[in-house]
Amino acid sequence: MADIVASWAQAGAVLTVQRWVVVIGGLLLASLAVLVLCLQFGATSVGMGTVATAIARLLRGDEAGSPSLATSEIIMVQIRFPRVLMGFLVGASLAAVGVTLQALLRNPLADPYVLGVSSGSALGVSVAILFGLGSTFMLLPVLPLFGFAGGLLSLVLIYRLAQSKGRLPVHSLLLAGVILNAILTAFIMFITSIMEPNRSAGLMAWLMGSLTAPGYPALGVFLMYVVLVLGVLMHKAQSLNVLTLGEETARSLGVETEGVKKQLFVLTALLTGAIVSVSGMIGFVGMVVPHAVRLLIGSDHRLLLPASALVGGMFLSLADTIARTIMSPAEIPVGIVTALAGGPFFLYLLLWRKDRML
Amino acid sequence: MGILVLAMAAFANADDGTSSMARRQQGILTGMPFMANVSARAYVDDAGRRMYFAKPPARIVSLAPSITEMLFAMEAGAQLVGVTDFCDYPPEALTKPKVGYSNPNLETLVALQPDLVVTPHDFLKPDVIVKLEQLKIPVFILADKNVEGIFVHIQTLGRIVGHSAKADTVAMQLRHQVATIQQRVQGMAPVRMLYVLNSQPLITVGPGSFIDQLIGMAGGVNIAAKSVTPYPRLSMESVLQEDPEVLVFPVGKAEGISESEQQTWRQWSTMTAVKRSRLHQISADWLNRPGPRIAQGLESLAAILHPDNTSGNRTER
Repeated sequence: MADIVASWAQAGAVLTVQRWVVVIGGLLLASLAVLVLCLQFGATSVGMGTVATAIARLLRGDEAGSPSLATSEIIMVQIRFPRVLMGFLVGASLAAVGVTLQALLRNPLADPYVLGVSSGSALGVSVAILFGLGSTFMLLPVLPLFGFAGGLLSLVLIYRLAQSKGRLPVHSLLLAGVILNAILTAFIMFITSIMEPNRSAGLMAWLMGSLTAPGYPALGVFLMYVVLVLGVLMHKAQSLNVLTLGEETARSLGVETEGVKKQLFVLTALLTGAIVSVSGMIGFVGMVVPHAVRLLIGSDHRLLLPASALVGGMFLSLADTIARTIMSPAEIPVGIVTALAGGPFFLYLLLWRKDRML
Repeated sequence: MGILVLAMAAFANADDGTSSMARRQQGILTGMPFMANVSARAYVDDAGRRMYFAKPPARIVSLAPSITEMLFAMEAGAQLVGVTDFCDYPPEALTKPKVGYSNPNLETLVALQPDLVVTPHDFLKPDVIVKLEQLKIPVFILADKNVEGIFVHIQTLGRIVGHSAKADTVAMQLRHQVATIQQRVQGMAPVRMLYVLNSQPLITVGPGSFIDQLIGMAGGVNIAAKSVTPYPRLSMESVLQEDPEVLVFPVGKAEGISESEQQTWRQWSTMTAVKRSRLHQISADWLNRPGPRIAQGLESLAAILHPDNTSGNRTER
């Protein structure tokens, strides 16, 4: 295992089509295996057999939730499958946004929550919970809609704050984001402090980051959204490579840096808003997965971006499986698992390959 | 239970009025020997701290809605000079000065010149208690363990504030009410239920929580009983597997269960509670506050769980 990894790392400098296909193909297979593995475990002992029959039934197009389905199949089809898939999508998005922002801001500490968009989303959700708004609107859950609206508002705000003379300087983007983060977080804390303790528990649990089993309409919308944004980010991968060399160099190489920066900022912010609105703040994935993958396969974003997304997806699915089962029938916030499992692993990688950091 | 009996016996002894003050420090579990020599007006709170009141306190601050309700129930409302932001029952409580809640404003609190602060064991920050002790303001701590404990608290507070006759009556009535409910549901098939504190993520009550006890007393079975924490985030998978017959949603004063929240639950069409349309709301304040309205809460919970049985013979209040 270590040998393969080391050989990948050595080949890090050159990206060939063959290497791309091998790495991404391997990760895709691994992802599939992880998804099937995660489907195996849950608070109830519904095993592989049910997975198979449930998938078969789903493929035959049986109406899920019809009385003919046994409880175990409903658990599989309506709860576990959407939840595992959601975990994978959220993890993949977090890691992809992390990669993009680390390159865009040229800051190894950047993660999807650094720019204040996440706090905007969180504030939107807090307001919705404070006023006790219902949980669905036209089949789509209300909380994510509020979260997304909050994220969009803060995105516009940060953009306006950071922009000067038609340019979008990276340092003012970072500063505006951090400060707005602080202000919005203060609002969230205010809201939790005026709520009755037994009501604010729900909000706190949400803020800590949690995955739930979404309905299929909501999952479908989120899936389309993630695929679209990740597709565009992939398309910009070469520009990311150039941006990491510094803006001056990028400009001299003929990259229209301002336009690319603006596009990347808006794209990542849109994706972050969506992630936070469906899952709250799940820390660690967006910052550590990109670093870990970069240490292993090098920093060419054409490979790094999709590889990080797949690894992020696998990591969060596995972490959420642990969160779902370790104290069964109760669950623990998945952020605890991502930090406790990812942190030591990352430190190990760091010791192992200090020189390749960034 | 043994501790409660002991505590009751201790109060009976305290009433004997042996006034020689023994200064030996002993815990409540060794109760009997030292309680026998203690003054009539010395009390031990649930944190094991002993305090002495020369006369009934006239300026009391309550740091929990349940405590405010207790004091009003024993007609000691006039002695109450400060309450929390959440004390809204009885309506007279709304007219009292507010001091905050889990993090009360110490300046406001001290400015009220209380001669007694009564506080719940949970929620309150420890440094507030330390500060109040430095300021020589007596702080009496109540820890909620079970329903009988609430009635004992009412009687203890009654003795401290000089309304013991009324407090005893209130406590006895409540005990009677609770016993009647328990007798009624005894022998009936227990009903599997889920208490939905929060839908997304799903948070409920588990063993060790106050409401879990109430569910048992009202003739129900909490489907989260296997959980190890008192307020678990329950896995939806295990909810479907345990298949609750009744869903109970605690709600505030005005709001009901929102249409969309009901829809969220109705999607689980194989769940017995959904099939039978048994999604019920219950006043959150009655169950969440370990105060005199707990019997009312237990009554309505029992009525939800065993509707046929209660229609004819509702107990009078």
